[in-house]
Amino acid sequence: MKKNSLFLALVLVLSAIGTSAKAQLSGAGATFPLPFYNMAFEQYTKTTGEKVTYGGVGSGAGIKSLTDKVVDFGASDAFLSDKELKAMPGDVVHIPTCSGAVVVAFNLPGIETIRLTPEVLVDILMGKIKNWNDASLKKINQSVNFPNLAITVVYRSDGSGTTNMFTDYLTKVSKVWADKLGTGKTVNWLTGIGAKGNPGVAGTISQTKGAIGYVGSEYSFAQKIPTAYLMNKAGKFIKPSLATVSAAGKGAIPADTRVMLTNSSAAIAYPISGFTWLLIYKEQNYNNRTLAQATATLKLMDWMLDKQAQSIAGTVNYAPLPEAVVTKAKAILRTVTYNGKTILK
Amino acid sequence: MNSDKILKYVLFAASLLILLISGAMVLSLVQGSMPSFHQFGWKFLVSDKWDPTTGREQYGALLFVAGTLFTSILALLIAIPMAFSTSLFVAEYFRNTWMASVVSTLVDLLAGIPSIIYGLWGFYVLRTFIVDIGLSAQGYGIFTSGLILAIMIIPYATSLSNTTIMMVPNELKEAAYSLGATRLEVIWNVIIPNARSGITASYILAFGRALGETLAVTMLIGNSNKMPTGLFSTGNSMASVIANQFGEASGLQLSSLIEIGLLLFVITTVINAVGKYIIKKFA
Amino acid sequence: MNEINLLLENKRSSIITDTFKGRKIKDNLFLSIVILFSLITISMVFLIIGTMVFKGFHQINFAFFTQTPPNTFEAMMAKSSGKLIPGGIINGITGSLYMVALASILAIPFGVLIGIYLYENTKKRYASIIRDITDVLQGVPSIVIGLIVYLWVVVNVTKGYSAFAGSVALSIMMLPLIVRSTEESLKMIPDSLKEAAIALGTPYYKVVLRVLVPTSFTGLMTGILLAISRILGETAPLMLTALGNPAINWNVVKPSSAVPLLIWQFYNDPNMVDLIWSSTLFLMGFVLILNLLAKWIAASRKF
Repeated sequence: MKKNSLFLALVLVLSAIGTSAKAQLSGAGATFPLPFYNMAFEQYTKTTGEKVTYGGVGSGAGIKSLTDKVVDFGASDAFLSDKELKAMPGDVVHIPTCSGAVVVAFNLPGIETIRLTPEVLVDILMGKIKNWNDASLKKINQSVNFPNLAITVVYRSDGSGTTNMFTDYLTKVSKVWADKLGTGKTVNWLTGIGAKGNPGVAGTISQTKGAIGYVGSEYSFAQKIPTAYLMNKAGKFIKPSLATVSAAGKGAIPADTRVMLTNSSAAIAYPISGFTWLLIYKEQNYNNRTLAQATATLKLMDWMLDKQAQSIAGTVNYAPLPEAVVTKAKAILRTVTYNGKTILK
Repeated sequence: MNSDKILKYVLFAASLLILLISGAMVLSLVQGSMPSFHQFGWKFLVSDKWDPTTGREQYGALLFVAGTLFTSILALLIAIPMAFSTSLFVAEYFRNTWMASVVSTLVDLLAGIPSIIYGLWGFYVLRTFIVDIGLSAQGYGIFTSGLILAIMIIPYATSLSNTTIMMVPNELKEAAYSLGATRLEVIWNVIIPNARSGITASYILAFGRALGETLAVTMLIGNSNKMPTGLFSTGNSMASVIANQFGEASGLQLSSLIEIGLLLFVITTVINAVGKYIIKKFA
Repeated sequence: MNEINLLLENKRSSIITDTFKGRKIKDNLFLSIVILFSLITISMVFLIIGTMVFKGFHQINFAFFTQTPPNTFEAMMAKSSGKLIPGGIINGITGSLYMVALASILAIPFGVLIGIYLYENTKKRYASIIRDITDVLQGVPSIVIGLIVYLWVVVNVTKGYSAFAGSVALSIMMLPLIVRSTEESLKMIPDSLKEAAIALGTPYYKVVLRVLVPTSFTGLMTGILLAISRILGETAPLMLTALGNPAINWNVVKPSSAVPLLIWQFYNDPNMVDLIWSSTLFLMGFVLILNLLAKWIAASRKF
């Protein structure tokens, strides 16, 4: 009938448009670096003309997209474990692009900043410390006049790399936490309310007196939210900033860059920091991929490690990679092959 | 006659599409749920555990089923009087006046508001309001999300009702009036029985919408994995736990989420069937 | 006529139902309640839309309709110097229009045909099953539909995120609404009309196409309009199928942006949150125009 033939004609026309267009790169994954990636990729398109699309669908969905081979690269805040690597249809390499951190935000009228030790933080999150005027808080904050106000914990309701980084830190510093809750993109919070996304948590905290919760650093830096100074492994109370976040990456990093930077031993390191990675297959000839597509993908990755992209990171509150990490990452890129032959020199 | 046969075949073929889509959907959902089903069996349906910690993963659907049902039923209860009144306003009392046009356009606008905006509006405005009038400490919970859902489903409940109410033949109404019936009596005894099928179809559509609504509920229900004990306790719903955790889940957790999706499909079917049965009984 | 007599006879006697005054009071009371509830419903509309207008109006300018979104740095700079955030949502607007149009082409013909089938075969068991399944489809969370279309289309057909996959997901969501409203609208056509056409010797297919469908046109339009309004604002299924795109894209096998996807992006970006409201205003405006268009079409076909 008329409508169906119109439909058929349309599909033919559209597919004709489809085959004549230039190839594009597409990636999917973590929402944490989304603002940075969008900006960097926009710059890349301006410089090279190559179009890049990135979707912040979540690290898990990003990895799934890569597994299903429907994107050129995936993006994740949590590196793949050995078990997960084995489950992938091919060898996957991790390319770090920048660092971020998780900050502890709070809402106490009239109080600019507070200090927290790992023990006190864990006790608050597990509901053992219920009120701001608790003695253990006063002990580490002699100059702060805490009100008699109930503590409301706010956590991320959606699975997130931010939660993963935060709980990884808590597991490292508290045996009680490790036993009861552990690490994960979602955990079984004992008390408090869940809000969706960084804006949800930040919004809830700012609207609820006495609230305390965790947000991604890029978010808190941009919105200038009151955050706590955390005691790091070296015993110092550290304020989260680009410098202290970058410092966490200056320690020993394995060759494949798969490491969590939480609870770093560096002197001025902020204790809840971590890399975010782009993931690609080591052997790029899969699914009828052309050499041109593979080269384009690697060129993008290489560019992300260069000075221009890294300085973009800094301007939008993402901590750039330390030199040593950039060197390691570039080395990894040069092991990626097409039909067994390396692509980049 | 040939054209008639062709039309009959075309219509039948079209109906197969529904079977195709729903069948394939169920198939994919069942496939995805298998790992979770093997692990937990039927206990999954009545377990209130949801622990994603690696090493001791335990999942169960009970909390979410409760949350979904509580919010959707509350939404329907709030929406029906509102939607019914609006339908009568537009399709009967002030029919063909400019007022009816304005009202129906405004209500249709409600359908076009993206659910994330309902969520945001609910988060910034409604939640603050509920906290201010003292109904709840932080404004999240079954009531808030039920209220937002109610607003969202009103257009679904009104649009079809409007059409069917307006199409009740004038002769029937005029006959009743000529017998001395009041407006209310005509509505109750003539219009409603005649438009009953369309009205209930629209409420079923609205309820279905409520069951599946994701973003708006996610932002207001509080996302705590506890059994809701009262109107203002927080909880979690099936659609919202899927939306929240799907992007980051893998392995057993992903399978459990898919199983919850399948469960939602089943529950919607059961509720629809029960609803229709009740309506038939009262026909 | 019989029904009315029977109903009026069966009512029990009482002051309220028997005396004219009592019935009149009931009548007026009911009318007041109807008006009150309608007003409450409308006030909700004003509250919500009012918030959007208040927060988003100043962001709407020519650039809004012609440029792509700013990057987070530009937004940050604009915010800190108190200026308006630059850029617009043109990629989202074209993406949304493109995918909605495609989805409509997919869903409307099938939806109407299935609605006609259900109407013509009400007695059959098979039709009942189809109807029930359609109602169930309505309740499937959009994210589950997104997941399914990801598996079917993104992985197996277009081998990548694409506008086509997005359209398929949207069309599945439109289908139940169109089917049900088509069927219900057809049901309200008085049998006499159908019988008159048949009595004149009109072949069956002409009765359907030339008499039934045009008569129920208003109802059909309402259903289609409602379906389009619903999918314009959907985010979750598009995230898993169309992915998003920083540029305008007309290529059906490549990722595409959409206004709700941009809204989600803005929500998650600390510097661009304010752009949510103006984007929503656009969607609202579009729904309003569609709505007025449908009303105008219905009015010019006086039945």
